[in-house]
Amino acid sequence: MLSTLKNIEVSRYSIYIILLVVVVAASLLSPNFLSSDNIFNVLRQVAVITILAFGAMTLIIGGMIDLSAGAVMAFAGVVSVMVFKSSENMLLAILAGIAIGMICNLVNAFLVATLRTPAFIVTLGMMLMARGAVLELTQGQNVLQLGDFVLIGQGNLGWLPIPVLALIAITIVVWYLMNQTRYGRSVYAVGGNEEAARAAGIAVERVKYQAFLVNGALVGIAGVLFMSRVNAGLPNAGVGYELQAITAPIIGGTSFSGGVGTVMGTLAGALIVGILGNIMNLIGIGSYIQQIVMGAIIVIAVAYDVFSKRGKAKTTILKSDAKGDTIRPGMFASGPGGGKSKT
Amino acid sequence: MNSLTRRIIALSVATAAAISLAGCAVTTGNPTGNGGNDGASENKDEYRVAYIARAQADSFAAWLANEMKLEAENYDDITLEVFDGQADDEIENKMIENAIANQFDAVIIQANNADAQLPYIQQAIDAGITTITTNPRVEGLTGGNSVDADPYKQGAVVAQLALEEIPENANVVVLNGPAGNFHSTARRDAWQKEFFDKRSDVKIVAEDIANWNKDEAMTLMEDWSLANSEIDAIISMNDNMATGALEAVKSKSGFDGILSYGVDGTPEATLLIQGDQMTATSLQNARELAQLNMKAVHDLLTGVEDEVNVDIGNPLITKDNAQEYIDLYKEAGLIEK
Repeated sequence: MLSTLKNIEVSRYSIYIILLVVVVAASLLSPNFLSSDNIFNVLRQVAVITILAFGAMTLIIGGMIDLSAGAVMAFAGVVSVMVFKSSENMLLAILAGIAIGMICNLVNAFLVATLRTPAFIVTLGMMLMARGAVLELTQGQNVLQLGDFVLIGQGNLGWLPIPVLALIAITIVVWYLMNQTRYGRSVYAVGGNEEAARAAGIAVERVKYQAFLVNGALVGIAGVLFMSRVNAGLPNAGVGYELQAITAPIIGGTSFSGGVGTVMGTLAGALIVGILGNIMNLIGIGSYIQQIVMGAIIVIAVAYDVFSKRGKAKTTILKSDAKGDTIRPGMFASGPGGGKSKT
Repeated sequence: MNSLTRRIIALSVATAAAISLAGCAVTTGNPTGNGGNDGASENKDEYRVAYIARAQADSFAAWLANEMKLEAENYDDITLEVFDGQADDEIENKMIENAIANQFDAVIIQANNADAQLPYIQQAIDAGITTITTNPRVEGLTGGNSVDADPYKQGAVVAQLALEEIPENANVVVLNGPAGNFHSTARRDAWQKEFFDKRSDVKIVAEDIANWNKDEAMTLMEDWSLANSEIDAIISMNDNMATGALEAVKSKSGFDGILSYGVDGTPEATLLIQGDQMTATSLQNARELAQLNMKAVHDLLTGVEDEVNVDIGNPLITKDNAQEYIDLYKEAGLIEK
């Protein structure tokens, strides 16, 4: 049975099929699910986490991780709120939020890429520093009376909620970056096999800096949208968001080993998590059961990822042996979804 | 960059971080206080007092910690050091042990979980350290003192008002704090005994945990309001969650007159009550708690009192008196003037 399953080629479209199954099941469970109100409701709810997830995906594909995303998001969002309250300038406020996200991630990049400190430790430290900074800045108090700042998170452009519009725009930009640029291909190569990428002439450190800065910009935007949506600058916001942000790409097929993952898979992963949360709330399932379901999904997704790669690796080695090829460093460092696992 | 240079930079960064973190200890009042515990009631020139806050990421606990620091400055012979329990029983217990080991003259403890902290608080009392439990009072100690804001009473005062206001056969939603949290459990217990047990006509259409968080409550209410087109009232164990739930339905048709009850009397809730968007909350007045705590600790250390057990009030905030509390918050700098 196991050997049979191992030989099954992983379908590129399996995540979308799962998403479709979840949508169909949800629509059968609740008559409200497919209403236009609820569809926009789900999209608004997943916007912040999905934007964070794109940042997490970029780093995971590049062989890194960011545990500071939730705290930096809170820091960036609160600073953005404060800038808006003092200047009444929306653009300046948004830029301030993005700047905070990028500065924090520049520090992460310096420590990870230049000093070669493990990303797990560095971003854990940044999580504490960013949370401390935002609590010190606000003295632990919520920032209130935001005025027109709420338009970003609660307003509509025509019939489309602005957070949904931002999500669509960011999805396109991140997709373009990861699939159509040298930067994107380099991230896959570095995550797939760092030494092979270096041997192939890729400036590995520069790619890591770029990946962290992209992540920082996304975290900053997420912070602005979050605070605007809740109509307050909440210094204790985003606790645990880093793990939710990692969950979506992992469910969407991004490999923790690096080098593998897609933007659309991450979007599908985020939608699956969002829809499951939404339908469980609609039909009255409590948060304890919700946690069990979400935990099970993560475990199954990662186990499936590891399991399917074992099968793939064995097949690849057998094919190489049959042809008499020599396995060279970097020969698997390829484009989206095609990188080689380190496992 | 060679390996040696990289190591030197790494070491420098780590050293700078360690120095900056060491500088984060908060000390107020007379900064020249030295260690030692020469007996709680023995007159000294300076007393070292530790305040162990439940969690400074919690907006009320942070407000209380700030008020404690401000109030301590009024006492020339008291040096107050504030420690953050981070809403974690293990961390809070370690903080109490550290306060004992460092021989503070007095310790004021805002328990995260009264049962979990009880044996550690008893250790402080047994070590001869002047000990006060606050917000909430920890019951079952031998000795010790307390300055309290009772979470049951805070929930009860709002529930009693709701008894008259929530219409017959109403549909309500209930938002709870973290599972097992003492304050959330006591407030929910008050709602059960003071409201739900007396109003069998009222139906709870949805109830869940939103962990005190505005954003989590907002997401829950967005979904609940789609599943239940008629919700007459939001019953929340704190104001953050009540305001989050209100945010979710504020522009939705059919929810215009929704009633909403919280606890804490936060600035945001008070503003919403004044603006007729929220119905009522009960105040935990951090300034009053801080004033009573610092007076109690000073009286106990200087031998003016042998034992102190006092309560602050749980005033109800409604539209009728919201302005009075907004003025208080403006004075405290929590609402812009």
